[in-house]
Amino acid sequence: MSFKHNGVDIEDTFAEGFSMWGSRIIITAASKKWANTAATAMSGFATSVIACDCEAGIEAELKPGETPDGRPGTAVMVYGFSKGKLSESLLGRMGQCVLTCPSTAVFNGLPEAEADEMLDIGKSLRFFGDGFQVKMRMGDGWQQRRRFWRIPVMEGEFLVEEKIGAKKAVAGGNFLIMGENQDATLRAAEASIEAIHRVPGVVTPFPGGLCRSGSKVGSTYKFLKASTNTPFCPSIKNSVKGSKVPEGANSVIEVVINGLNEASVKKAMGFGVDAATWVPGVRWITAVNFDGKLGKFKMGLRDSLEAI
Amino acid sequence: MNKLVLTPRGFSSIPLEADVISPDVFAGKTVKEIRELKIHYGNREVEMSEYIHVQGKVAETPEEQRIVIDGDARHIKYIGRGMTAGRIVVQGDAGMHTGSQMEGGDITVAGNVGDWAGAEMKGGLIRVLGDAGNLLGAAYRGSSEGMTGGCILVKGRVGSETGSFMRRGMLVVEGDTGPFTGVHMNGGEVLVFGRLGKRAGAQAKGNGGFIASFGGAEEILPTYVYEATITPNFMRLYLMQLAGNLGIERAAGFIGAPLKRYRGDMAVGGSSEILVAEKVDA
Repeated sequence: MSFKHNGVDIEDTFAEGFSMWGSRIIITAASKKWANTAATAMSGFATSVIACDCEAGIEAELKPGETPDGRPGTAVMVYGFSKGKLSESLLGRMGQCVLTCPSTAVFNGLPEAEADEMLDIGKSLRFFGDGFQVKMRMGDGWQQRRRFWRIPVMEGEFLVEEKIGAKKAVAGGNFLIMGENQDATLRAAEASIEAIHRVPGVVTPFPGGLCRSGSKVGSTYKFLKASTNTPFCPSIKNSVKGSKVPEGANSVIEVVINGLNEASVKKAMGFGVDAATWVPGVRWITAVNFDGKLGKFKMGLRDSLEAI
Repeated sequence: MNKLVLTPRGFSSIPLEADVISPDVFAGKTVKEIRELKIHYGNREVEMSEYIHVQGKVAETPEEQRIVIDGDARHIKYIGRGMTAGRIVVQGDAGMHTGSQMEGGDITVAGNVGDWAGAEMKGGLIRVLGDAGNLLGAAYRGSSEGMTGGCILVKGRVGSETGSFMRRGMLVVEGDTGPFTGVHMNGGEVLVFGRLGKRAGAQAKGNGGFIASFGGAEEILPTYVYEATITPNFMRLYLMQLAGNLGIERAAGFIGAPLKRYRGDMAVGGSSEILVAEKVDA
């Protein structure tokens, strides 16, 4: 079953999302360049929990007026399979990639009111101060109470918020763009990513937001838990049983979306699918699911387009 | 908010102790009941109406109660003592102990305020548009903790021992401070835009507390060690808050300004800080 959107066939199916713990931090720095540098380093090697400790990505660049300290900032989201895993990833990545980066500071980007848990990340990082760290208190008794740690570093001081908000979030929002050639498919996927990043509260953890090597569970090799998604590989579509690549499609790129809630992920999928359909050469768009066996979130492509 | 107007019936050289002037006490009462509340005139207990005229509307809850003191109240002590919510506006001077031990709500004094204002304050906001006396936000004698929360803003100057034994909360003085600002301080923030008086931070222990002066300092105690001149990012948060939310526009001029950092008081093994702006004409 399929339906047409802007003349492109969209399979009437759904992306199967699953639950992960998500967090959002705001990295600020002396310039946009350094905020982005820290954010890029922190969200590196975090495409998929298949082989990474977490999934992470840059949500948005923030103008000085949008950050707590009035400097340029970048919002980063990190997703882990449990609170513990998420804490470990945040601590390691903030410690190695942000604390080390000149002029940066870290603020919680998920307010306590919206979070399910507050993780003691800054509180743990403080020990780097070797006893010279300073607790900073704001708002006691008259405003919202906030806690930070000031850690002396060679360059000056690293400021980090004591607690980082985390909540049960949604991972695995996805859709596949199938085009008549690599060029058209890549251009369509790029258009999707640009559109998706207009939606707050979501990230696309793969390189540039795109995954050209989607995987299926298992392999012919016993030692490998995931392998190339053969039904969606055009170069073997007539050799593999049950290929899902339609006639005329010669390249497939997957867009994977994680978000703080189902509605955001669904909306991002809608914007992404819509943007892709405007690019000439796109033949077919579908989504990956496991018949409801993987996760509890069923985000239909039709619903996602209706959500925008 | 329901507005209740209190008009002092002239100035008295004998002080009135009126800790009943509080939204917490007034809320839920009738105007007649409020007029009959007991206050102290010297060593004599009297009904409030004898010295203060009361009229207006009373709210059911303290949050909804606004009290306006219309006139000279510099002889009235303990205005808003221990209040938890609501608003008090004094349209002149206010006496000693104004807002002492208050826990919430806000007090605005259009004129000057006497000694011990905001002493042992726990929460809320006190805004003084004139000068404040000695021991602003301080601990009462024998107590080990002064302010433990809340915010006090003074447009003018303050006397000695401002923020003594301060533990948490924020004190902002736009004018000069007297001697011993932040004496025995063990947390909290004191931000001074005038000149910081002598012996500031004496016996301060630290606990995240600091004194920042943007108008220079009379002296820095020899028991404070100069560390470096830095532009700490954390100060941006305070200055943005002062400029953006509390109407202290001059604070914006110091965002990103270099500060000389002194650490002490070494006499008590302290790790408190005094930060002095390198340039005072920002």
